[in-house]
This record gives sequence, structure tokens and C-alpha cells, in this order.
Amino acid sequence: MIELFDVTRRFGDETAVDRISLRVERGEFCVLVGTSGCGKSTTLRMINRLIEHSEGEIHLDGQPIRDFPEDQLRRRIGYAIQSTGLFPHWTVARNIGLVPRLLQWSGSRIQDRVEALMALLGLPPEFAHKYPHQLSGGQAQRVGVARALAADPDILLMDEPFGALDPITRQTLQVELRDLQDRLDKTIVFVTHDMDEALALADRLVVMHEGRIVQQGSPIELLRAPADDFVASLLGGDDRGLKEAALVRVGERMQPITPKVGEAPWVSREATLNQALSLMLWHQTRHLLVVDDADAPVGRLSLDALLQKAHHE
Amino acid sequence: MSEAAFNGPGSVNGRSRWRFAVPLIWLTALLLLAVGMTTLEPLFRLFEPDLRQVIYDREHFWVLLGEHVLMVAVAALLATCVGVAAAVAVTRAAGRDFMPMVAQLASIGQTFPPVAVLALAVPVLGFGTVPLIVALLLYGLLPIVRNTLAGIQGISAEVLEAARGMGMTPRQVLLQVELPLAAPVILAGIRTSVTVNVATAALGATVGASNLGDPIISGIVNGNTAYIIQGAVMIGLLALTVDSLFEQLQPGVPGQSSGAQSGQG
Repeated sequence: MIELFDVTRRFGDETAVDRISLRVERGEFCVLVGTSGCGKSTTLRMINRLIEHSEGEIHLDGQPIRDFPEDQLRRRIGYAIQSTGLFPHWTVARNIGLVPRLLQWSGSRIQDRVEALMALLGLPPEFAHKYPHQLSGGQAQRVGVARALAADPDILLMDEPFGALDPITRQTLQVELRDLQDRLDKTIVFVTHDMDEALALADRLVVMHEGRIVQQGSPIELLRAPADDFVASLLGGDDRGLKEAALVRVGERMQPITPKVGEAPWVSREATLNQALSLMLWHQTRHLLVVDDADAPVGRLSLDALLQKAHHE
Repeated sequence: MSEAAFNGPGSVNGRSRWRFAVPLIWLTALLLLAVGMTTLEPLFRLFEPDLRQVIYDREHFWVLLGEHVLMVAVAALLATCVGVAAAVAVTRAAGRDFMPMVAQLASIGQTFPPVAVLALAVPVLGFGTVPLIVALLLYGLLPIVRNTLAGIQGISAEVLEAARGMGMTPRQVLLQVELPLAAPVILAGIRTSVTVNVATAALGATVGASNLGDPIISGIVNGNTAYIIQGAVMIGLLALTVDSLFEQLQPGVPGQSSGAQSGQG
């Protein structure tokens, strides 16, 4: 659990972060989002003391972070950044094993851990001996995430980790990160300026503007009731309907009846409502056949069902 | 070519097999000359047909060579310690204010002619090896300081931020990240420094530091071209040996070579 109490950071006369309070529960995926210069990266970096806070208090599991020596604190917190920051003179395996080595794990334990992490992040074993410059952007970022996870920290700080990747790679890694989070149950603080990324990943969305938190809540809550025009425009303005639809799966709205065979077009149960709507527009139809992972028909989605307000979650 | 060696796994072996061939050739030539200069007497006779003595014989050439190497090595070792330490100190947060001063001092060390350093040092330090080593140290400092600064400052800010963010102590960052990444640039500085000082050390003969400069100075004083050539050729071969040896020792750093761009997909 991470708690910020009235935290302020000043650089000279500039106030980069202005009295923010925030509580990230254990296992929560918290995304800080905002325009550049809004203080979101500064906030993130204050948590592992790469930047010291000027005022207020930051607690980790109830203990002020200044109680820990900086190095010890950071070894407990995974950290991944946009440019990966992989050490160019070290192999992939050595890069991933960095924090365990700092924690003086035994050689065999480090090796086992590195192998396990490479498997977890879908990196082929032969990559262990490659150097960072031999990797593609997406592969390097996987290594960066693996390195952040290496010592099995409870907390993961991620500063626009997918910002430099192409849209397809970025989306793949987002989905994988979300899956990883569901399995590993880490407390994650993630910074991005990409609202689609934020909506796709967040349990809790924290919108920052000019060093302050403007609004926080679940993605649905923010989409339904943005606090002001700034939040509304950041959330996509008139596109908010589609963005909200992107958070709901077809499976939640379909009618589980056995449809007539041959009724087309069809959509996956795992697809999102905006994809279903797009298919309806494309095929100029009010009904879609819903199929499961094995392409077997399981239900039916109508335009009326799609337009219904969701039951409150 | 040394950068290319890191772009493929196979080339590393190709590099190691013949890499010391060139330095070895120069070294062999140098050693042969050091022990067998007298056999070349007929050749040197061509330069000075009228003189009684055409091979420098006040000291064996291999002794002069040994002295020369020792003086340059001691000076290089000192210059490396002082230069790297100074550059590291001024790139730490606490020492950053001194950076312009250190850079300027090192520049002055090189612009000040070694001959003048010798002339000024002798009254203080007396004749012999010590003033020469001081002169060589000052003269060799600049390339080492400048390259160490460039090497450390050239490391990407993201790598350093990641190193700190992972929980490395400042000492670990310096020893495991900064110095290894700056090593090729630092080594290039040492190479320049040593190669230049191999030639500069010949001045030692003027202050009684006996080395390969002796035949040259003696040749100038006595009007014996053969002596001058003998000293000059030996010094030249030594410089080539050292320089080509450094070239082979120069590590290519993976990820900082040209492969860094081509590797991105």
C-alpha cells in the first residue's frame, strides 16, 4: 500500500507537485494521467526517492519512506522507464538479474529467477546472452519489465514504459501487463499521457493537472462523471461513449440464447462493445452472433442491448 | 573494425586469433634492434663514413630501452590515476563546481612545453628521472582527463537513472556502470597520452635521465647522424608497438557501437 499525504515538490520557485494526497491499495493498478508537465512523473519518482519530496509524507505499508535508506527502498520497488535504461554493456540475463544481485542472492537462485522471468514475459531463452542493442523496442521493454519484477517487489513503478513503442506492440504489451497484474497481484503505479492506455490498464485513474490531482476514480466513474471540462476533454470529449464501450466486454451484454445456425456476422465474446458497434455499423445490422474462444456460437447481441446502461459495478 | 567485432557472435573469435599479430611484429623488430644494433654497423657507416664510431656504445640499447619503457610506464600510471580520479571527482554531485577548473588545469599542463617543465623542475627536483616523470605526467594528463570526462558525460541519462532507480549505491553506479561504459573512451585517452610521451621522454637525456633519448642528444652534440637515427628508430618502433597494442586492447562496448541503431526494429 502506498499513501501520499499532502505531498509537495518545488523546484526553485516552481511548484511541480502541489499538496497531493493519494492512496494506492495493495494489488491496485493505479494510473497517473495528464498532459506533459502536470507533475505525474515527479509524483512517481518521489515514491522511490529519485526525487525527494519537499513537504508532506509518503508511506509504504504505513512506514514513512524516509525511514529506509534510499538504496534499500529502491531494491524493494520495481522500476521501469520509457527508454528501458537497460545497461548496454550487460547481457539480457545480467540486466534482469541486477536487483537480485544487489540483494546478494545466490548465483543459482538468480539464474532460476531470470529464466522464470524470461519465460513469464515471453522472451526466448536464447535471448539471455544477447545485448540490449540486439533487441527490438518491444523486446527491450519486456526485458525492462522483467528487470523491474526481478526481486519480486510488491510495488512496481512504471514511467510511460510503452511510450516509445509502435501502437501494435504497445497494445500487446498492455494486454500482457494487465494479465500479468491479474496473476501477480502487484501494486502498480503507472504514468502515461495516453488516455486509451490509461483506460485499458487502470483500476484507479488519477487525473493530474498543473501539479494537482483533479479527479480520481475507476475509469467508468470518470467517464460517466468527469469533474470538469479539462477531465472531460482529456477523456476524449465526444469520443467518451466509445471509450466507455471499450471497457465493456460483449459477453456482459449478450443474451445467452442458442441462435439459429448461419446467422452472421459474428463477434467474439471477449471483444469490447465498441468493436461490436463498429461491426454493426460496418455490416449495417442490428444483431450480431456471439462466439466463444472455440468459435462456437454462445449468444446474441442486439443494438438495443448494446445501448443499455450497464448495471452498476 | 573493433566496433564491428561485437555485431556478431562469430566475429569475437576471429578477432582474438590474430589481434596481437601487428604489435608482435613491431615488438620483434624493436627487440632485435635492441640486441643486435652492432650488426648494422655497415649500414650506419653509410651515414657517417668519416667517423670512428657509428654505433652508440655508451650504454646497451636494451638497457636504454628498458629505462625508457619504465619512465614512460611510471608516468602513464601516475597520469592515469591522477587523471581518472580527478575526472571522476568532478563528475560527482559534490565536485561538479570544480569541473571547469580541472579541465583548464589539464589544458594548461599540455600547453606548457615539456622542455620548459624540465627546465623549471630541475632546480627544484635536481637532475635525473624525477623531473622527467613530472614533465611527462603533466604533459600526459590532458588526454586522460578530457577523455574520462567525455566518457562519463556521454553515458545516457536514462541508464544512470535506471541504475539509481534499481537501488545501486553511488559506488556501484560508478564501478559497474559509469567506468565500464566510459572505459573505451578512457583507454583511448591513455593511448594518446602514452604514445605522445614515448617520444617526449627522449628529452630526459638533457636532464640526466638516461633513456633512448641519449643517442639522439649525444648525436646532436657530437654531430653524429648515425646515433640520432639509432635513437629515433628505436623510439619510433617503441611508439608503434605501444600504439598498436592499445589498439588491440581497445574494447568495443556492446550497445554503444554502431550496432545500437541497426538493432532497433
